[in-house]
Amino acid sequence: MSYIVEMQNVYKSFGAVDVLKDFNLNLQEGEKVVIIGPSGSGKSTVLRCINHLEPIQSGKLYFSGQQIDEKSDLCQLRAQIGMVFQRFNLFPHKTALENVIEAPLVVKGMTRAAAEQNALELLQKVGLSDKTGSYPRELSGGQQQRVAIARALAMNPKIMLFDEPTSALDPELVGEVLLTMKALAEDGMTMVVVTHEMGFAREVSDRVIFMDQGVIVEEGSPTEIFEYPQQERTKSFLKRIRH
Amino acid sequence: MNLDYSVILSKLPILLDGCWVTLEISFFSLLLGMIFGIAGALCRISSNPLLTSIAFFYVWIIRGTPVMVQLFILYFGLPQLGIKLSSMTAGILGLAINTGAYITEIIRAGIQAVDKGQMEAALSVGMNYRQAMVRIIGPQATKICIPPLVNQFIMTLKNSSIASLVTITELFRTGEQIIYTTFRSFEVYTIIAVLYLIMNSVFMIIADNLEKRMARQ
Repeated sequence: MSYIVEMQNVYKSFGAVDVLKDFNLNLQEGEKVVIIGPSGSGKSTVLRCINHLEPIQSGKLYFSGQQIDEKSDLCQLRAQIGMVFQRFNLFPHKTALENVIEAPLVVKGMTRAAAEQNALELLQKVGLSDKTGSYPRELSGGQQQRVAIARALAMNPKIMLFDEPTSALDPELVGEVLLTMKALAEDGMTMVVVTHEMGFAREVSDRVIFMDQGVIVEEGSPTEIFEYPQQERTKSFLKRIRH
Repeated sequence: MNLDYSVILSKLPILLDGCWVTLEISFFSLLLGMIFGIAGALCRISSNPLLTSIAFFYVWIIRGTPVMVQLFILYFGLPQLGIKLSSMTAGILGLAINTGAYITEIIRAGIQAVDKGQMEAALSVGMNYRQAMVRIIGPQATKICIPPLVNQFIMTLKNSSIASLVTITELFRTGEQIIYTTFRSFEVYTIIAVLYLIMNSVFMIIADNLEKRMARQ
């Protein structure tokens, strides 16, 4: 059984603060995993370690069976891993279309025509065919986040990481982004999503992981975690976010 | 009161020659200063501690000493060590080293003012550091840097008058020479001031247009 992502005994700290302690995670291709937990529990750090935006201090990290460390070709690794950020991080000096074609042009060396055609299809998929020429500042948060999803998809990644993709959005804009993510899940994309959207977790995920203080406290199917949590910490967290 | 500008007006062609030299010194020292500044800023933010400290000391020493002393070391000091620079070389190089230190700080601040998420987003789609700097961070930092750079360019143009002290006959020195023969200090100095003002104003108008054009983008 080979996994697309394997994290073995990963340890990560920021200064004196342990963010991930002896952390283990295996992801199968096509799997949709949602990570929940209180802020500061290390959820985002898990994602950022997977694409090596954060180097790990000890433990092992594998992508598609290959070990990843400082000496690996990180650009090649990241080109295969899409990431969507809480604050979108679109390139403000580029239009929606330019945001999406940028990496295919620069990293993959695609021709402009091919990159643009691909980008137009992706922007249509996220429902923004009419916004291709708009700059990020002319778009709503939800639209920006959908462009960001298209930008990540343009590299044709094997896996998508979502770091609280709806947390910075006005409530009425959350739905459109979740809908886009749901469609992506239905296409069979492997996804790891850090989110507070329990409805999305319930509906889309194969597995829910509850983290606290840098460790996995409990994991299981959405039903197991949301209906029958075993650990006290999980129960109290769920109780808090439901109120 | 006994002011007579007619004598000075007859000397206008010589003053304009001085303006030309001033522009020449300013242009080359700014060009070179920009190169020093960009290199300095990249060193300053690099992860290599040697480069960081070189850039740090460069900025520290230059900002902490008068530009006149720097020019004098280059022009009057170095010959003692067997390095003889022409007045023009010393003047341009000195002003470039000086303005380069300030530009280093301007560009460093500009790069660091770009949201950290931009570098992360660029890296996350597979760009390397150089591609991210050139295509994503650079254009955004440039926009942030333009107003302080305009200030620095104006400072350099005015500081070029100090080059007169290393015997370059630019605008200020041309004026002084006219005073030696005409004894019209007030007239000459005011004319010089006006000429500096005109040169800087033209530059400010160009910079203003550039800034507006970039803001529209």
